[in-house]
Amino acid sequence: MYRTAARRLLGAGFTTSRLLRLPKPRPTTTIIPYSYCTSSMESPIGNQSVNPNQSDPTAAREEGHRRDESRKPRAEFQEEQARVLAASLRHVPRLGWTEEAMIAGSREVGVSPSIVGSFSRKEAALVEYFMDECLQLLIDRVDSGLDLQNLIPSERVSKLVRIRLEMQIPYMSKWPQALSIQAHPVNVPTSFKQRAMLVDEIWHTVGDGASDLDWYVKRTVLGGVYSATEIYMLTDDSPAEYRDTWAFLDDRVKDAFDLKKSIQEAKYFAQDIGAGVGKSFQGLMNGVMQTMSTRGGRSSAF
Amino acid sequence: FSGFQQVKEEEKSKLVGNVFTNVASSYDIMNDVMSAGLHRLWKERLVGKLSPFAGMKHLDVAGGTGDVAFRIFDAVNSVKRRALRKVDEASIEETQIYVCDINPNMLNVGKQRAAERGLSDNRSLVWVEGDAEALSFDDDSMDGYTIAFGIRNVTHIEKALAEAYRVLKRGGRFLCLELSHVDIPVFKELYDLYSFQVIPNLGELIAGDRDSYQYLVESVRRFPPQERFAKMIGDAGFEKVEYENLVGGVVAIHSAIKL
Repeated sequence: MYRTAARRLLGAGFTTSRLLRLPKPRPTTTIIPYSYCTSSMESPIGNQSVNPNQSDPTAAREEGHRRDESRKPRAEFQEEQARVLAASLRHVPRLGWTEEAMIAGSREVGVSPSIVGSFSRKEAALVEYFMDECLQLLIDRVDSGLDLQNLIPSERVSKLVRIRLEMQIPYMSKWPQALSIQAHPVNVPTSFKQRAMLVDEIWHTVGDGASDLDWYVKRTVLGGVYSATEIYMLTDDSPAEYRDTWAFLDDRVKDAFDLKKSIQEAKYFAQDIGAGVGKSFQGLMNGVMQTMSTRGGRSSAF
Repeated sequence: FSGFQQVKEEEKSKLVGNVFTNVASSYDIMNDVMSAGLHRLWKERLVGKLSPFAGMKHLDVAGGTGDVAFRIFDAVNSVKRRALRKVDEASIEETQIYVCDINPNMLNVGKQRAAERGLSDNRSLVWVEGDAEALSFDDDSMDGYTIAFGIRNVTHIEKALAEAYRVLKRGGRFLCLELSHVDIPVFKELYDLYSFQVIPNLGELIAGDRDSYQYLVESVRRFPPQERFAKMIGDAGFEKVEYENLVGGVVAIHSAIKL
């Protein structure tokens, strides 16, 4: 069973190539790094290995301009990339979300810094890796027994958002840079997807199972609350670790839940109006159709 | 002689040697004319993909006249880069760009151009005569390896790729810029027309050497297409082999990593 609807929609293109470590066994088509998807779709090539120990008898594969990828070596590259990025995070508070941080990280791991040149959208790769890590940490926290039973939904949402935002505290001095990197048009699709998954995960944990139009509204609203709090946090230097930010968060979440009620009411209202208008429109249409069918009956069939 | 003739292996390197001895002095001008200046953009793209960093050890093979090497040097040393980023001067000093070419005439042109830029005493640029199939550099010594418009002239491409793999460090990048195959229907015919009718005539007019450019055009056709070359790179042991077509396939940049 899919964990959340979002995974079903967004799973195939999950960000920078990390496999989530998920607690339950799941069908293999869910979270697959994008590169694996491509190679599995084009199976004759996907099975071909560029391992020098094996030889590929088929020489002619004129499939046009495609990337030559195969599963096993690519997995190694992604592991290396993950290792380098993980090491680079330690340098971010000092060097920012930059190539320099990644070069330092690669030196730590013992790999030539040239590898950084091959990361797609370089600094964005680092930021996206961090976002994935945080989401994974959040999932782990939730799975390892976070106590949400005694809280009402709005408080649960607050708590989860707070846990997630607290992960960014060590990097707070450089977080504006990360936000601007995520806002570049080139990077927006991925950052949007990551945030959508985060928001969806939070709602799912809170216990929401809706899958109608409400689903989109909820995710959008929580996305807005999350972003607003994130930005508020950037300039918050209240004592006791961002006390003002958490107060701001609680207020926004409460507003959102009130908004939810108002939206529900607005929907019912619209439905009622629609019903009223619809009835009169339907009456009109029926009259028109009857007139047309009597006229059409006189002419020959087409 | 023609690129399509079955040339014996021993003779190929001699013939190529002759070709480049003849064309060395007008190599740069001919490049500009044949590609309408586009070769500069292609080389910029190559260096962009490389993402040079201060302190890197780089090897540019078959880069006699230094086009790619100078670009890498500029990328590492540009004032703007140094101002924007936190680079310490010591790493800039450590940067070493080796330019290796089998043909001393091409290297001389390169050294001359370096002198014109005031870089003849700069320790970062090192001009080395050598064979792509048998490099004189140590194993695991290079952060980057580029070969621009050179690999089609190598007699045994697999050997050159194996040497590239040998000298690169773990995580090092291999980048190859080369004329490649066009598949787009109408454009392919136009390109063939241009190659076979126009270029040899330009060679005669500007460099005074029709045969060398006839050889060039035909050797491009003999070079493996993008996919097959990518496979050869993978067979040499490289990972994450990718290629990017420029101008519909007239030129392709293959990139890979040694892991």
